[in-house]
Amino acid sequence: MPTTTKTSWLNSYTTKFGNDELFNSNNDVKGYWKKLFTSFDKLGESGLKGRQKDIDWLLLENGVTYNVYNDPKGMHRPWNLNVVPLVMHRSEWENVEEGLKQRAELLNLVLKDAYGERRLIKDGVIPHEVIYGHRGFLRQCSGIEYTTDKLLSIYSADLARGNDGRLWVVNDRTEAPSGMGYALENRSTTSRILPEMYTRMNVKRLSNFFKEFHQMLIDASPSKKDNPNIVILTPGSHNETYFEHAYMASFLGYPLVQGNDLVVRDGFLWMKSLQGLKRIDVVLRRVDDAFSDPLELREDSHLGVAGLLDVVRRKNISVINPVGSGVIENPGLIPFMPAIAKYFLNEDLILPQIASWWCGQEKEKSYVLQNLSNLVVKRIDRTNRESIYFGKFLTPNELESLKQQIIERPYRFVAQEQINFSTAPNLTQDALEPRNVVTRAFVIANGDHYGVMPGGLVRVAPDSKTVRVSNQRGGTSKDFWVVEDHPIKEDKNKNWEQKSSIAISGLDDLPSLTAENLYWAGRYVGRTLVNARFIRTVMRQMAMVQNRDEKPEAVKLQVLLKAVTHLTGTYPGFAEKPKEGPQAMENPYDEMLSVIRDQDRVGSLAHTIGMFSNSYYSIRNLWSSDMWRVFEDIQKLWQAFQADENPSILKILKVLNQLITRLIAFMGLIEESIMVQQGLLLYFIGLQLEQSMLTITKCRSLLAVKQETQVEYDILEYLLTSHESLNIYRYSYRSYIQLEHVVDLVILDVEYARSLTFLINRLQKDISRLPHSRKDQQLTSYQKYVFSAYSKLRLAESSKLCSLKSKDDVVREELDKLLGELSELLYKTSQSITGTYFNHTDRQTQMFTQSFPF
Amino acid sequence: MVFNVTHITTYKYNAPVNYCHNIATLRPRNSDGQELLDYKIQINPKPAEITERVDFFGNYITRFSIQTQHDTLKVTTKSKIVRDYGAKYDSFFSDACKRVTMNDALYVLKGNDPAVIEAKQFILESIFIRKIDKSIKEYAERSFRGDRSVFDAAYELMQRIYTDFDFVSGFTSISTPIEEVMKEKKGVCQDFAQIAIACIRSVGLPARYVSGYIETLPPPGKEKLVGADASHAWFSIFIPGFGWVDFDPTNNQIPKNQHIVVGWGRDYYDVPPLKGVVYGSGKSKLKVSVDIARID
Repeated sequence: MPTTTKTSWLNSYTTKFGNDELFNSNNDVKGYWKKLFTSFDKLGESGLKGRQKDIDWLLLENGVTYNVYNDPKGMHRPWNLNVVPLVMHRSEWENVEEGLKQRAELLNLVLKDAYGERRLIKDGVIPHEVIYGHRGFLRQCSGIEYTTDKLLSIYSADLARGNDGRLWVVNDRTEAPSGMGYALENRSTTSRILPEMYTRMNVKRLSNFFKEFHQMLIDASPSKKDNPNIVILTPGSHNETYFEHAYMASFLGYPLVQGNDLVVRDGFLWMKSLQGLKRIDVVLRRVDDAFSDPLELREDSHLGVAGLLDVVRRKNISVINPVGSGVIENPGLIPFMPAIAKYFLNEDLILPQIASWWCGQEKEKSYVLQNLSNLVVKRIDRTNRESIYFGKFLTPNELESLKQQIIERPYRFVAQEQINFSTAPNLTQDALEPRNVVTRAFVIANGDHYGVMPGGLVRVAPDSKTVRVSNQRGGTSKDFWVVEDHPIKEDKNKNWEQKSSIAISGLDDLPSLTAENLYWAGRYVGRTLVNARFIRTVMRQMAMVQNRDEKPEAVKLQVLLKAVTHLTGTYPGFAEKPKEGPQAMENPYDEMLSVIRDQDRVGSLAHTIGMFSNSYYSIRNLWSSDMWRVFEDIQKLWQAFQADENPSILKILKVLNQLITRLIAFMGLIEESIMVQQGLLLYFIGLQLEQSMLTITKCRSLLAVKQETQVEYDILEYLLTSHESLNIYRYSYRSYIQLEHVVDLVILDVEYARSLTFLINRLQKDISRLPHSRKDQQLTSYQKYVFSAYSKLRLAESSKLCSLKSKDDVVREELDKLLGELSELLYKTSQSITGTYFNHTDRQTQMFTQSFPF
Repeated sequence: MVFNVTHITTYKYNAPVNYCHNIATLRPRNSDGQELLDYKIQINPKPAEITERVDFFGNYITRFSIQTQHDTLKVTTKSKIVRDYGAKYDSFFSDACKRVTMNDALYVLKGNDPAVIEAKQFILESIFIRKIDKSIKEYAERSFRGDRSVFDAAYELMQRIYTDFDFVSGFTSISTPIEEVMKEKKGVCQDFAQIAIACIRSVGLPARYVSGYIETLPPPGKEKLVGADASHAWFSIFIPGFGWVDFDPTNNQIPKNQHIVVGWGRDYYDVPPLKGVVYGSGKSKLKVSVDIARID
């Protein structure tokens, strides 16, 4: 029955469904919604839309994203949050909480039983196929004893309101439930953007829940200590919810690690840090069950740690949730839940579930086969969207094929009634519109009982026709407000005692993968900047050539172009003869375009920017929101440039200018946003090493060969320009540009911040602060290389470097030799640092290569 | 009969390995008509730690890790086993075993008797025997019929696999899918065992994979058995009301005293003799030798 609301804001809010969060069973607007909309009325239409814009802006600013696999729009989509929260009164929520706690406990008992005595099967409460036929039942985990009171530490349920007005359980999530971090981020956003409503509505806070969450992880430590080492294990920056992993890591203060950061030795789990191995007590796991141990589970996984399960068996680590908990993410259990509740607790289920038919039973199977077009069919062990079939949307052929699948392996399928769930008001472009909503609730173990988050993550269908709700399909989200009639007296102190020691103890404990990413972030930032500047210099010269296809007759341009190839490493390029095809020199403009824009070409500017972005995303938990914004600017600039099919040379120069300016802003922000203990040192080492190496390459390819006087003069000027040193040169020497002075300034100057000697001296100081560096007698090998490079530079004299052996010679041998040696030493330095600190380069291989169709 | 079994597995790497984690299913389990008298495992280089446990199926799993750099891994096991399978063997030919028809079997499998519950999981798909296509089911149905004795049907299935399939080593690997083995009708003992298991499961009966050894010294005047000097594998079918019966399709016989059981599971995946994750670069070369000596 169509219903229309009464407040002025809501005059336009019409719902066809008759089951909307706004209304009670008498079609009156519920009191607390009225209260919210009275506040919205004060804002007016433009005011509320303005708040929505503020939210969008804030989320973008904070870089809140999620990833969609195989998304044509690319990775890292912005997260959407609707300004209208979902509101529920505490009196209703308390009953739901009881139901969630009961369900968490029941699933916990099922999990314990499945990997323990299996009484449920033996006593005929559940058919064996529901467990044994579920691919998530990992026999390797059978019989493991755990140190925690509850096996299921984190439980999450999707809830939706049925036509009877009750909240129903739609899905159970137990393997590695996601969404908690997004719920927190949503709350922090809405409470900032809607402060007056947030206060007036008496919304229950989330802070206590996260405090308990933190305590739960501490208590999970197998050896009881106050400061257990806790890490968050993420599959990496390509994962759908990577933002959340990074967000939780920085919110809770735990290191964010990947499988490669961890290693099993002597029956314990260790984190590879810069200092060495650090013992880990608790892993908050976001890697799926089957991927968590390539020794015992999926052999092809590179996301887990070989031997992890054995450490669990020895009770030397707690993995939260335990590996194997995916078996209770199992719609096959639904029809048996009432019996399970009776069996374990002698209780009735508090929360209703959707009517479900498990096809492993004859009667149920034939009902399902006869009514397939009205049902929703799910695999018991595949709860992802792709494995859910909505009967009414299937073609006759698809229905037939589904029937065959069910007949072949009936125990694998469950059919459910298709139910219309409630809608809630959502602000769209034009108006408030009803949209289907599903709420993800979170439950955590707290000693021998469970605690529930007073809130959750609400996901909203993308349009008014869609019932399916999913972020992957482009829906939006809402904050979830559990409200009280009276102001809440809660401890507003969000910061609690920091008990996980590992996060704050500095550089020594930096996970080596994070360290490596920082090091490479430094190297790629440096490479992008140096190359962009040099390419800009070259393009300016090319802009002066009238005809693009004209062969560069001028020797000076040829020298510059060859230097581009050496600097970017895009051989054969201008420097070598290609094995086949035309020479790049024949068509320099095209080659330059490729060096700038071809992202598949290793060494190109586009490729380098891509590598920089990857290393940046991989450690995003370290970056500040200002950095995020500048980074986004760089990405946008570059994407727009790449989209331009035929940019003019002036356009290219403009983009390069903007790129360089933004990079410099970014570099400035890095220095002030990250602490040295967080790994900034590694970034600096990478940056200086890269800048030094490129300076060497640049000088070598421009200066080692003598040219005619005028050509040489021009080249020296280009070198100074691309090195941003022309003004300094004029200021320092107040003279005609001379080779010796240029060598003095760019290579040998001890005080000039852009000179090679200065860079290497700083590198020397920085590497001495690395954990394994020595300050006493014997230097480590990387220290020796840098020391040697520095000495060579200090002992060099520009007059000798610039001299020629004889008049007829064209190569400045002294200079060439020195630069060659320096290049070699810095290469060895890089190798040695990598070998000493990023010691996860050992490739993980299986003794046998097997392909497992898990 | 008492046997000394020496099983040596050697991995040679062409580049040094810094460390490795391994799992071995090498210690023979006690089973009907078989008892383990003595067992030793030697690993070179010496493992940093080694543990043993009993897995979901009751097999012994040895787990070890080596943390010193090495280019060769050598695992040697010496098992002393007494095998006295005669009475068990004879029982297969009893009326109690042979009278169970497939209809009887399927009926009993609907129940929840503990032995039946335990066996029923071996009807379900497993890691390597996942998709059972039409050709396998048709192949099975030529032997398995409702009113026919399950034992007779299984015996015939074993004979047909022995006749229809060629023993060709090197044609398949452990990752060759059973559909392909079925199509090409070529393979080794583990392929034949897995084909039989797929057939039996396709008609709704439980079957499991048995890994072990076979004695290859031929009794005078008889032909030498295939599967010499290596691990061996065969299958076992559950006959409700009677129990598990082993068949060796590679040698067309019901195992007696020359077969030695190490472990069993749903398929090869559950009982690989040795597997591991190695950290280092480069490839490995595998050499396996099995020697079975009769003591009395």
